[in-house]
This record gives sequence, C-alpha cells and structure tokens, in this order.
Amino acid sequence: MTDALYQKFVKRWEEVMDLPPQTVGPLTPYYKKLVARLKVMPWPVLVIGSVVLVVGLYLLLGSAITILVSVLQRGF
Amino acid sequence: MGNHVLVSGLSFGRTVIGIATRPYETYRRIVSRGTMWELAYVGVLVSLYCYISRIRVAPVVLTYLVTAGLFWCIGSFAGAKGRLTGFFIAWGYTLVPTLVWFSTTSLLYVLIPPPRSTRLEGFLFSILYLLFSATLLFWKVILSYLALRFGLRLDLGKISLVSLIVLPILFLYSIALYRMGIFRIPFL
Repeated sequence: MTDALYQKFVKRWEEVMDLPPQTVGPLTPYYKKLVARLKVMPWPVLVIGSVVLVVGLYLLLGSAITILVSVLQRGF
Repeated sequence: MGNHVLVSGLSFGRTVIGIATRPYETYRRIVSRGTMWELAYVGVLVSLYCYISRIRVAPVVLTYLVTAGLFWCIGSFAGAKGRLTGFFIAWGYTLVPTLVWFSTTSLLYVLIPPPRSTRLEGFLFSILYLLFSATLLFWKVILSYLALRFGLRLDLGKISLVSLIVLPILFLYSIALYRMGIFRIPFL
C-alpha cells in the first residue's frame, strides 16, 4: 500500500471511528439493519413508513383526512 | 471572496443532493468541513421563499435560532461536545425539507386551493399530499437526528432525552407564534 493511500485510509478510519458506534442493547442487530437502509438512499424506507402512517390515519379518521389536508394546506 | 462564494455554492449543491441520497456520510462531512457560507445559501433560499409567499423573514430566522439554540443549550447539559458552528450549519440543512414542504404547499394552495372535498378526486389528492408530507417529515427527522448525532456528538439515548425536553418547549413556542398570528404551522 502506498504512503498516500495509507494516509487516506488512516484519515478515513479516524473520521469513521470518531464517534463510538450506536448500540441499543439487545435490539442492536435490528437497529443496525434499519439504519443501514437509511444511510444510503433512504427514500424507499421513508415512503414505506409514510404509507403505513397514512393508512393508519385513514383507518383512524376515515374520510376526515380531507379536513386534515385542508388545514395543512392553509398552514403556511 | 468571489472564490469562496463559488466554492460554497458548489458545495451547497453537492450537499443538498448528498442529504437526499447519502444523508449519514453527508452530515458527517457537513459537521467537520461545512462553512458558514453554505448556511448563507440556505438563508437565501428561505428568504426567497418568504419573499414570494409574502411571509416575514424575521420570525423564520428567529425560529431557526431558537430551535438550534435550545438543542445546543439542552444538549450541552446532556454532555454535548460538538463545535457550535458545525452544529448550526448542520441544523441549517434540516431546513431543506421544511423549505420543500412549504414551497410545495404554497404552490398547491395556488393551483388547487383548499378545502378538499370527500369526492374521489379530493380524497386521492389528500392521500397523495399526506404521503408526500409524511415522507418529508421522516426525512426531516433523520436529518435532525444526524445534526444532533454529529453536531452535538450525542448518542441515541441522550438525543431522545434532549428531544423530550426541547420538543414541548418548541410546541409552546409554536402556540405563541400562532396566537400572535405569525405562523399557523411553524417553520421549524
């Protein structure tokens, strides 16, 4: 390995290890699995989460979600 | 000076794409290498939106300072060890999803003004609008988490604790803004 490449590797390693990895006790493997999907191109997971939330809202509020949207649209 | 503006502009554009496609890596870079010039670009975009929507800029800036300041202060009590400028730049980038949401909502207000009906068209629009809003909200939550994680160097437990303290204060602050007739939905 050349010196420049090694230095680059060391710099990157220090940058990555700057913060200790996050653990959440026994849930750590699941946490890591979820976070891995959010680190790069998180949109599919975000959209799936939104679908779940909106379906939940629909089950909770029914067609009253149109009132919620009207309130949000007037919100700015 | 001109060089700084150009370089920061390119960096800002790259960062905006980065927070959408590789938020974790990008936030690490923002905190360690971000410059205040980049924050100026966020400020320009927010000001432009405020100008077009005829909203006063001062409450938006105040809200940004209050939110970031609260997280910084409460975070410091929880053992935060970050760099102030790094955190403020990182928090500034969390305004990007907010700006996208407010801009789209304002545009839709003009194109398809409320109220929404319960007919099929109104219902479908409502579903799509809520999907869009929720997706941006989750994106905002991720960016806020990363700003606190890298900017304040806190772990998940402390971030949750700090958020539990700060969010009720922001809720009261939002109510105060609403009562004063400044925002219906705060520009957080």
